Amino acid sequence: MSILWISVGMGLAVAAILALSSVAFTLEYAVSRVVNLAHGEVLTIGAYAAYVGETNFHQNLYVCAIIATVAGSLTGMGLNFGLIERFRNQKPLSTLIATLGASLILQNLLLIGFGGASVSYQFAQGNLLHVGPFLWTTLTIKVMVSAVVVAGLIYLLLQRTLLGKALRAVSQNRELAQVSGIPARRVVMQTWAVAGAVSGFAGFLYGETIGTITPTIGNGFLLLSITAAVGGGLGRPYATLGGAVVLGLVMSIAGTYTSSAYQLVIAFGFLVVMLLIKPNGMFVRGRALTVRA
Amino acid sequence: MLQYWTAILTEATIFGVLALGIDMIWGWSGDFDLSAYAYFALGVYMTIIMTVGKAKAPVEYVLGWRLPYLLAVVIAVVVVVAFASIIGAIALRNLRDVYFSITTLGAVWAIYYLVENFTPLFNGYNGVFGLFDPMGGKLSYNAYHYYFFAFCLLVLFLVYLLVQRLSRSPFGRMVRAVRDDERAAAVFGRNVFWTKYRTYLCGAGLAGLSGGLFAAYIGAFNPLDWKPTEIFVLYAAILVGGRGNPRGVVLGSFIVYVGFVEMTRYIPSPAARPELGPALRQILIGLLIILMLKFRPSGLLPERLGTDGTKVRRSWRTWFSRSKILPDPRQDDVVAEPASGVES
Amino acid sequence: MSTTAILEIEGLSKSFGGVVAVDNCTMTIREGSVVGLIGPNGAGKSSVIDLVSGFERPTSGRVRFAGVDVVGKRPDQISRLGMIRTFQTPREWRDLSVIDNVRVGRSDLERESLWRSLSAARRLRRQDALDTEQLRELMEHYRLDDIRNDRAVGLSGGQKRLLEFARIAAAKPRLTILDEPMGGVNPVLGERIGEAIRELKKAGSTVVVVEHNLPFIEKTCDEVVVMDLGSVIAQGRFDELRDNERVVDAYLGNDDE
Repeated sequence: MSILWISVGMGLAVAAILALSSVAFTLEYAVSRVVNLAHGEVLTIGAYAAYVGETNFHQNLYVCAIIATVAGSLTGMGLNFGLIERFRNQKPLSTLIATLGASLILQNLLLIGFGGASVSYQFAQGNLLHVGPFLWTTLTIKVMVSAVVVAGLIYLLLQRTLLGKALRAVSQNRELAQVSGIPARRVVMQTWAVAGAVSGFAGFLYGETIGTITPTIGNGFLLLSITAAVGGGLGRPYATLGGAVVLGLVMSIAGTYTSSAYQLVIAFGFLVVMLLIKPNGMFVRGRALTVRA
Repeated sequence: MLQYWTAILTEATIFGVLALGIDMIWGWSGDFDLSAYAYFALGVYMTIIMTVGKAKAPVEYVLGWRLPYLLAVVIAVVVVVAFASIIGAIALRNLRDVYFSITTLGAVWAIYYLVENFTPLFNGYNGVFGLFDPMGGKLSYNAYHYYFFAFCLLVLFLVYLLVQRLSRSPFGRMVRAVRDDERAAAVFGRNVFWTKYRTYLCGAGLAGLSGGLFAAYIGAFNPLDWKPTEIFVLYAAILVGGRGNPRGVVLGSFIVYVGFVEMTRYIPSPAARPELGPALRQILIGLLIILMLKFRPSGLLPERLGTDGTKVRRSWRTWFSRSKILPDPRQDDVVAEPASGVES
Repeated sequence: MSTTAILEIEGLSKSFGGVVAVDNCTMTIREGSVVGLIGPNGAGKSSVIDLVSGFERPTSGRVRFAGVDVVGKRPDQISRLGMIRTFQTPREWRDLSVIDNVRVGRSDLERESLWRSLSAARRLRRQDALDTEQLRELMEHYRLDDIRNDRAVGLSGGQKRLLEFARIAAAKPRLTILDEPMGGVNPVLGERIGEAIRELKKAGSTVVVVEHNLPFIEKTCDEVVVMDLGSVIAQGRFDELRDNERVVDAYLGNDDE
């Protein structure tokens, strides 16, 4: 039983959550062309909503998951309505800075609401299980299974539903979609609702996996989601999914040989390397994105 | 009361220098740089560890040279510029706009976690300290603070003069031309990377300098109290004052910084909830950033237009009309645009 | 008209991921001439401009400008050899004043040194002021004098075109490449642009014009180069080419306009 396999196993769990978070991030970019720096806070809100649910409605794992999802969805819609749509005609950079402001606001609202000290769920971690070469707890397995299920739902949504079709059209060209009779504004709003729901759920899973939540857990996860999305292909859900899996593995393998505290440092190294070699993502074919005069 | 105001104004002065540096990169060059905090913090660290003695266990840090303060600040600025030359070379070579911001955001958090966890460098999350007196301990505690304030004010004034001179020079004009349309600037013979790079290094140098001043002011620095979010107030200050206008930036730093410190003073902060005041302050900063961007992105004192020298009379009406946001029809080909949409 | 070549393109090719945009393109532009570059949509005219001005790297081929091999050089390096190009849409520096746009166009790179901007600021400002006289004459000529102190972003489409010509006139290039200068321009302004091109020639610049408006080309250009499917199919005087079968085919046979 090598230590490498154990950490790869843990990496898969993180990668599963990361996949959800970064796909949500990429969907937001796809429809609104915005790099949402408040994305981490949507996850955090999901995690805290589940915590509130757990303390108030007694600890049913599934009820908490639903609460987290709904809270995330509402936050996503709120962000879109209150901020992103208001900055629609501005440069992408202005919108990015505005989401930075939103991130400050949300994070500190959480700080006021829940205090700076960390809180934790009381769910049982379950038994240690050996699955092939991996070592997982039942909770970890539940996390991974549910992440895969949600990823599958996103796939169905994108491929099989009218919303998925409309979403693809809007992400290609919002104005064109609008004149073709697609209610672009509504599609964007629904996409944010979905992205928010997925983020909220991912936040809940993340809280479960690491055990403790604080108002700032979103910071690190935002960076990881950006790295996965940009590394895989920003605005492209499947490419982003691939990026998340690769990033999760890179981090966990590297984490075996260094301290886990350096995971974000490694992630950033990964991001820089990706941006330098293949700026439009490793799973995207085509010309380099950059404009070099 | 006098001491209180001296302290606040000293901080505002130091942050004025930092804001001028950030504005060179963001306002003139159009690159929204989130790693300015790293240059500021590195300036603080370098200044402290070069002026204090060797580290004694369990405290760990490098250097410990006991250099005179001013020399330490100069070296700190050099180190910061050298460091920025690496980050800038990576981030500015091909990446623009949101991609540049993402890269610098990644860089600042990666560096932050590195410094926090890698103790041999700057003693990790415990931080470094060394209350020293740049003026050699000849003055009383209070008098020292007044002199130090005067010193900071002098530095800010000199920096302002230099920055303003550069801003109005042909160099400043070229930097802004590159910002507005770099392909057109290249067509007219401007080396886009080199122009942006030099501006970036100047801005980083000012961030390092303000770090050097802050080191003497605060005497201790650790990553837990000084998160990257602490300097977001300066982005708000620059937006309020006027991006690209050095006078506006200095004005904005004083208005926002002093205003916020003063406002939060009256927010009740019960002992049980020590985080309330700072949290409300950050919320206000976030709101200010959003509202300024939405309603008056050019700030109180908009960027100065280069004219032909004849006095142009502008009525008060133009002050309002300037805030109008004109959409950029070309944003698609200026902005790096990786994906035209979701793959089908 | 002199017979020395200012721009020699030889066997230039460029493909984007399998799609051939420019295919073994060869042409020579003589110094002092006004040359129209025409061809149906997708003939590779704009790609040739991008390759010549350094915005794209050719897959193969040679480009010599003013005797210097420019393949692999950056756009700004090529520009400093004396070549200015435009884009299909006018590209003004939006937050600079109109006069500053022309000042940057005038392109005295010495003056923009970082060090001199700090150490000799007053002298630089005096030099700028001295230029102002000259520039105002230029701006009057392009009907920009009244708006010289306004932000360029507020200009109308036509004014932006004129500003572009003012910038180029201030830069005094050896070769000017205009990419569809008549796009979205009304007939009256069209006259003015034709005149501006003749003035550029008079000031000593060779001019290459990419344009779909054939009457305009006929009136303005000494010579015409016709491109189709990425390569040059004909070069000569306009009236000579009127009867050229390949040219007529390119325009009528597989025309998509």
